[in-house]
Amino acid sequence: MPPIIKREECIACGKCVEACSEDVFYGSKTGEIPVITYPDECVHCNCCIDECPEPRAIRLRIPLPMMLVYKPT
Amino acid sequence: MEEEFIKTDVLCVGGGIAGLMAAIRASELGAKVIVVEKGDTLHGGAARAGNDHFECYIPEIHGPDREAFIKDLLRGQKGEALMDREIFRTQFTRSFDIIKLWDSWGIPMQYKGRWEFAGHSFPGQIRTYLKYSGHFQQTKLTKQALDRGVQITNRVMASDLLRHGDSIVGAIGVHTREDKLVVFQAKAVILGTGRCARLFAGPTPGWLFNDAHFGTTTGDGRAMAYRVGAELQNVEMPQRHIGPKYFARFGQATWVGVLRDPQGKPVGTFVTKPDRLHGDIICEVNKLIPEQYTKSGKGPVYMDGTGMSDEDYEYMMYWMRHEGNTAMLNHMEEEGIDARTHPIEFMTYQMRCGGLIVTNAEAETNVKGLYAAGDESVGGISAAAVFGWISGESAARYAQQAKTPDVEMVKTKIDQREKLIDQLRGRENGPDWKEANIALQQLMYDYAGSVRSETLLRQGLSHLLRIKEKVYNTMVARNPHELRRCLEVLNLLDIGELVFLAADDRKETRGLHIRPDYPFTNPMLNKYHIVKNVNDELVTEWREVNR
Repeated sequence: MPPIIKREECIACGKCVEACSEDVFYGSKTGEIPVITYPDECVHCNCCIDECPEPRAIRLRIPLPMMLVYKPT
Repeated sequence: MEEEFIKTDVLCVGGGIAGLMAAIRASELGAKVIVVEKGDTLHGGAARAGNDHFECYIPEIHGPDREAFIKDLLRGQKGEALMDREIFRTQFTRSFDIIKLWDSWGIPMQYKGRWEFAGHSFPGQIRTYLKYSGHFQQTKLTKQALDRGVQITNRVMASDLLRHGDSIVGAIGVHTREDKLVVFQAKAVILGTGRCARLFAGPTPGWLFNDAHFGTTTGDGRAMAYRVGAELQNVEMPQRHIGPKYFARFGQATWVGVLRDPQGKPVGTFVTKPDRLHGDIICEVNKLIPEQYTKSGKGPVYMDGTGMSDEDYEYMMYWMRHEGNTAMLNHMEEEGIDARTHPIEFMTYQMRCGGLIVTNAEAETNVKGLYAAGDESVGGISAAAVFGWISGESAARYAQQAKTPDVEMVKTKIDQREKLIDQLRGRENGPDWKEANIALQQLMYDYAGSVRSETLLRQGLSHLLRIKEKVYNTMVARNPHELRRCLEVLNLLDIGELVFLAADDRKETRGLHIRPDYPFTNPMLNKYHIVKNVNDELVTEWREVNR
């Protein structure tokens, strides 16, 4: 479950940790790649990605129960 | 547990739009101000990811008749709110000044050099919602607050107000990342804590954070306010919202499309093709349409953007991002879902707790020194900004003449709370906050949900009280983060209890409050239903509405 951090792209700046009001990254340490302690508390607000200075370092994986339902063309 | 004491003139609880606007204004007027936020104000509250609609009356656009503007505004979803007309007059006397301020602070309130009004409106009527680029509004508001010397205390959840005699003297909070109790000594407290999510289960049962309100706003303000004797209004009245299935999001009025049935027939009568200036207001006329269509076998219903121009598509996508729906757009891109070719199913979301903390047009509650603004009182972005600002003025004015309180006077209360926190943190075995939250959601759905009756409500209440007692005696918080969640659930339990009591007292059927034992709407009850805690007893009252 979200978010997913690409370790090789992450610069460990901690901005995503501060951006998360749910504190999904609880327990992360300054200067280290964040840990995702509470993935099921992610609200998919995208704020961690909004704050990430590296374009590919973090992304959200949308959980299966939240997939949009649409009419096939 | 470590304790920290902080003194201030004005304490703003919650760092969303209302709390930050209150802090900015109170600070401008010379008060020492602290914002306490359980997340981070940079991305806090319901506004964390952005917004794109701001109700605003601009005489040069709408003409000189403010009353006509308000009349048209109330035809849409705003009409759900039973509110004194004076509140709306105040809001729309000041809304234009506020948007000019926001624009000067770097929140773009104009689109391509003009005031753009679109969405949430009926064709042929006044368009009352200004489009604005609010994606990073929280960052901009935080900067304004810091520039004025406001102290922002992030990662602290205020969990109880402190009252001595007839006045507020401060609040107690817990740090969400370390074991620390924070006691705020304040002359005035402004609650800007948002609505009440997680009381009823969302689209996915047991999945607590798939909620358009996000997970954070758990009715903390109204629970705290009630406990110190502030009046709440219509807490039992449920509301429901409409939006994409199953990705629970606000922003139905940001979609450019037509709500259609499976055969492609428009569900409503207002638009027959995608119309970016109006959206499809049928979504606001009846938010239950998706559920009703599904139950009657006519569903599902779709938000159908087929046929919109590329220009309209770009327009919609631009505003969707500002409304805070970037994650959903990214999901659409990844899954190959294109709003121009794929009608997207809409659903009626779960019940949410309606009601509010009673305030007047000065944002004052009935408790001296206690104010409320934002979704906790007059809801919506515009109201959060305007009444946040006004509450800052009222609180700063009050703080100038109020005596410095002494929290020693309420030491017993602080000790009680500290004992509860120690117990939650000290246990090794027991239910965690999620188990308690899910038990509450199950109960609310079954006994205070779409059908309510005296027998159901009383059975539900007795079970809730059993759960509550068990939660107080056995719940476990394994770390400071879980402690925050536990305290949220304790607030939700209080709100749930109030819903049961107030729903039992409302002996009529009205809106989504369905009482088969009282099947008719009682015109004598076209009033505010007030609940109030007097010496630990619930007191109810029916109060006239100033229309």
